[in-house]
Parts: sequence; structure tokens; C-alpha cells
Amino acid sequence: MDNLQELLHGFTIAVTVPHLALMAVGVLLGILVGVLPGLGAPNGVSLLLPLTFGMQPVSAIILLSSMYWGALFGGSVTSILFNIPGEPSSVATTFDGYPMARDGRPTTALATAFGSAAFGALVGVILITFLASWVAQVALAFGPAEYFAVYFLAFASFVGMGGAAPIKTVVALAIGFAIAAIGIDTVSGSVRLTMGIDELVKGVNFVVAVMGLFGIGELLVAVEEEFHARAVSSKIDWREVFRAVGRLPRHSVALLRSAAIGCWMGITPGGPTAASFMSYGIARRFSRRGRYFGTGEVEGIISPETADHAAGTSALLPMLSLGIPGSATAAVMMGGLMIWGLNPGPMLFVDQKDFVWGLIASMYVGNIVAVVLVLLTVPVFAALMRIPFVIIAPLIVIICVVGAYSVSNSYLDVVMMLGFGIVGYLFKKLFYPLAPLVLAIVIGDKAEDAFRQSMLMSKGSLGIFFANKLVTCLVVGGIALLLLPLVLQFVGLWRKPALPAPETTAQEKVII
Amino acid sequence: MISRRALELATAILTGSFGVAVVVQSLDNGIGWSSAGVDSGTFPFLTGIIIVAGSLYNLARGIVPAVSLASVPIAITSIELRRLAGLFVPAAIFVAAIPLLGMYLASAAYVFAVLAIPRHQSVVRSAVTAAATALALYVVFERLFQVSLPHGALAAALGF
Repeated sequence: MDNLQELLHGFTIAVTVPHLALMAVGVLLGILVGVLPGLGAPNGVSLLLPLTFGMQPVSAIILLSSMYWGALFGGSVTSILFNIPGEPSSVATTFDGYPMARDGRPTTALATAFGSAAFGALVGVILITFLASWVAQVALAFGPAEYFAVYFLAFASFVGMGGAAPIKTVVALAIGFAIAAIGIDTVSGSVRLTMGIDELVKGVNFVVAVMGLFGIGELLVAVEEEFHARAVSSKIDWREVFRAVGRLPRHSVALLRSAAIGCWMGITPGGPTAASFMSYGIARRFSRRGRYFGTGEVEGIISPETADHAAGTSALLPMLSLGIPGSATAAVMMGGLMIWGLNPGPMLFVDQKDFVWGLIASMYVGNIVAVVLVLLTVPVFAALMRIPFVIIAPLIVIICVVGAYSVSNSYLDVVMMLGFGIVGYLFKKLFYPLAPLVLAIVIGDKAEDAFRQSMLMSKGSLGIFFANKLVTCLVVGGIALLLLPLVLQFVGLWRKPALPAPETTAQEKVII
Repeated sequence: MISRRALELATAILTGSFGVAVVVQSLDNGIGWSSAGVDSGTFPFLTGIIIVAGSLYNLARGIVPAVSLASVPIAITSIELRRLAGLFVPAAIFVAAIPLLGMYLASAAYVFAVLAIPRHQSVVRSAVTAAATALALYVVFERLFQVSLPHGALAAALGF
């Protein structure tokens, strides 16, 4: 029951006027970046990062995490009303959300989406409340070898379960590690991989990479298909909101199943996008009305939305208790934690109780604030979508340029950002996943340090990774995940007439 | 028109050459084991090798396309390519102009050019949008957040 006491203490931190105001600001900004194509949660959080340097860490994380919730909700709004997913993770919501809205039931679609999203988020937060401190306690006993094994497991699960082509995931991960290694080596002090450019000694900041990969890259993908915002009416009928939410418990099986999928994919770094697709695919297979999916089925909205938000929320669990972010946005937030001088990982639960429990309590409150605000502001943000894309696009370019420059007042960063933009476009176009790339840039140094420290302890023997039961389990689990795609391929060859799953093609399109 | 295969190959070559550069550079730092523990080049060296190996695999997959690749022979049509260039080329010119013109002037000119030249908006409305953009940048960054954006060589020459 310690956890509940800590949580109550957390509420006294989170529920104060300044923090509630920060939540409202964060959620509104989040909905804005969620609605705008080309700007997403990772960008939005990176853009806000420099503004948080003067704040208390707990206030800063409340602002950033609220922005994340807002972006998750905002992405669903455009999916349902315009058939344009504002975020990759809300693509699956368009399948049934837009048909339902087009049929003249936009309020029902939106309310169902927000209601199930709130449920998914709630399950994720409850999971964090009860599990995070326990995981952290276990992790306190970790040495460098265990840490490296956990990092290895996290990266392996991207390869095994991320959904993208395994070798492309491996390449993306390795490029991220190499980029993280650029600059001064923290162990020996020598300069690495600067390619003869002196300014690279400071390294490549992850914000620069995020601005280019997600900002410019996504903009290029968006401009390629000409935009036609054929909006359906965005008027909200409040009575229908309550009726739609009241009907949700009838679909409790779908809700619980989707929340479970979401939490699993969030904790293992599968991410919200993979979670929403997997949940939609499973719902279509198991629902009694599965063959009506795609025509505006309620469960077709519930499943991806619940899983999306459950995954988005629970992605913060490994970030807090292990120092391993479960999604690209969580990776950016973790970068923030390190800039504020906090050390993400189990010590947070010992040294920074106010921070951790303030954040967890704010997740309960923040999601309620998000649901209310998003319902109130749907007409406003829907109007924003009617601004022609030709005007929005240059503004987003300017935002990314300024964002990349302001990280360390360096012009080279701006040029690199543009380069990352091309890479982001190519990677998206060819289904290379972007999230592992960002993740590796953020925690590459930590993973390398853990590896080198364990090598020092064992005097260069790899045997340290099999020295005790825990570390052996982690390493073997990681290797199993790495080999999973290969095994599946062999099984597929063996049972030749297996039908290609229809959702995989759609899923491949948006895995980031 | 650019085929999916050409795009796959180009990307694999791009990632592969980055991998080669990483391998070559990390050899300078020393790889392997020394008295101070693992040499600082070892980890980048290994990641470089993985990048090169993975890129070679992707290259081979691009040359011998799988079924799913064959179903989308064309990745970028010429119309799409024109749209991409329409966004990227002005953006690149904008970034190139920053050292000379400074952030404010360059972004105003960029917005004006992108809106007025293809006649998306009237000249007056483009000019207003451009001025508003620069002003908003100035108020938000220089005033509110006290972040100094580059003023450019031109402004320096004029004594700002």
C-alpha cells in the first residue's frame, strides 16, 4: 500500500493551480501538433524542451507528458473527421472512424474514440502505479552487465516485434548507435567519428535528428500525396457524447483485450503504432461483427484507440524504472530528463520521489484534462485543418529550422536537420523504422558505457553476460527475440499455403 | 519517375557508405582491448560492421525484389517528384540563405516566395503572411524566450 500513499502525495504535487495550467497548455499544444500533419508528438516535445530548462523538473515533465497526451488525442481527431491521420499511431483509427463520421455520426465516432482512449490510458497509468516502483526495486540490484542485457533485450524486441523488416530495423538501430558515438567519448576522452568536421566534436543532438526525421521527413511524405481535406461536420452534440460513452461497457471484452495489447507493446518497445494495428487486426479476427469492419464499426474504433493510448502511457514505465524509453516520444522525454540533471532509471524512485509520483499522479489528471479539452476544442482544430497545406508547410519548415538551431545555436545543426529530413523521407518511404533510430541516438552512449564497464569488470570476457541467472535470462531472451523473425520465416516456408495477413500490408505502410 | 527498386538500392548504398565511413574512422581510435579496457573505437567499429552487412543484405534484396516489392514498381511518380522538389528546394535555399540574410529576413522571404510565386495567394496576402511570420519569430524567440536567432551577415554589415 506504499504505492497508494506515494500516489496521494503525488496528487498534492500535481493538482495545484500552476500545474493544472501547465497541463492545459501542454494538452492544447499537443492537440495542435497532433492535428497538424508533419508535426507529431516527438517534434512537439523536442520543440518545447528548451523552454523547460528554467523549470522545476516535475513541472517540466508535466508539461511535456501533457503535450504527449494531447498529441495522441489530436491525431485521432483528424483521423476521424478528415481521414488524415495526424499521427502514425492513429492510422488504424481512420479505418472505421472516418466511415462512421461520414455516415453522419461524427460525435459518436469522436466520443467512442476519446472514451476508449481514456480507458486505455487509465489502464496504462494503473499499471505504472503498481508495477513501476517494483521494477525499479529489482533494477536497483543491476550491475553494468545486467543493464547492457536489458538494453540488448529492448533493441532485440524492436527487431523481433517491431513489425518492420528485421534487417532494416537492425540497420536503423546501428546507424543510431553510430550517430550517438559521434563526438567526445565519455570514457577515454578521445574524439570519435567527426569525419573531419571540427564542429562535430559536440556530437549530434537527438533534437536535431527528431526535427529532421519526423518533421521534414513527414512533411515530404505528406506533400507527395496532394492533400484534400474533405471534412465532415465537426459539430459536437453533447447528449450523444454521454450516450456513446455509456455504450462503451458493452464492448468490455474489446476494451480489456486492446488495453492488454497496448500495455504489452508499450512496455516492450513496440510502440503505439504497432499496438494500434495489432489490436485492430486481432479485433477484426475475433469480433462477431468482424466482417463489417471498415464500414464504421464501434469496435473498429475502440480497439486501435484503446491500444494506442495504453501503449503511449505504458511506454513511460520502462523509461522511469529502467531508463529505457518505450517509444520515440518517451525517448525525447528521457533526453529531457538527462538535460535537467536527473538520471533516468531506478534511482529516480529513491532520490526523486516527488518527481516520479508527481508525474504519475499528473498522468491521471492530465488524461482527464485532455479528454475535456479535446471535446471542447474539436471545432477550433477542425477549422485549422481548412487552412491550405501550402501555407502550413513552409511554417512547419521554419519551426523545424528554428527548433534545430536553438538547441545549441549552431548553423551546422540546421544543415544536418535538413539532411536528416531526406533520410527520414527515404526511410519512411521504404519502411525503415524511425523509432529505433531515435532510441539508439538517445541511449546509445549509456548502452556502450554499460558494455565497456562490464568488459572492464570481467577483464574482457564475454562470460560476464552469462554469470548469473538474471543476466543469462535477459541475454537469452534477447537472442530469442532477434531470431524470432528468422524462425517465423522458416515456419512460413514449411507451411507454405499460409495466406499473407491482409493487415500486414497496411501496417507496413506506417510503421515508423 | 523513380522505381521502388532504384530507391531501395540508393538508400542501401547511402546507409552502406555511412557504415564504411564509421568503420574507417573508428579504426583511427583503435579497436580491441588495451590496458584501459575496451578501446574507444571498438563499439563504433562493430556498429559500422553491422550497418555495412545490413546494407549489403538490403542491397541484395533490392536487386532481387521479393513479391511485395514487385507489386509497387514505381515509388515516386514524376508529379510526386515535382511536388517534393517544390517543397524541398525552396526549403534548402532558405537554409542556405540564413547565414547571409539572418533568420528573420530569410524566413519572411521564404514564406513570401513560396506563397506568391506559384500564385497560391495574392501578393498582398503573401506579404502580410511573410511579415507576420518574421514578427512572430522575433516576439516569441528574441523577446519571450530570450533566444537569439542568427541576424545574418547583411545585418552585421549594416550595423545591427
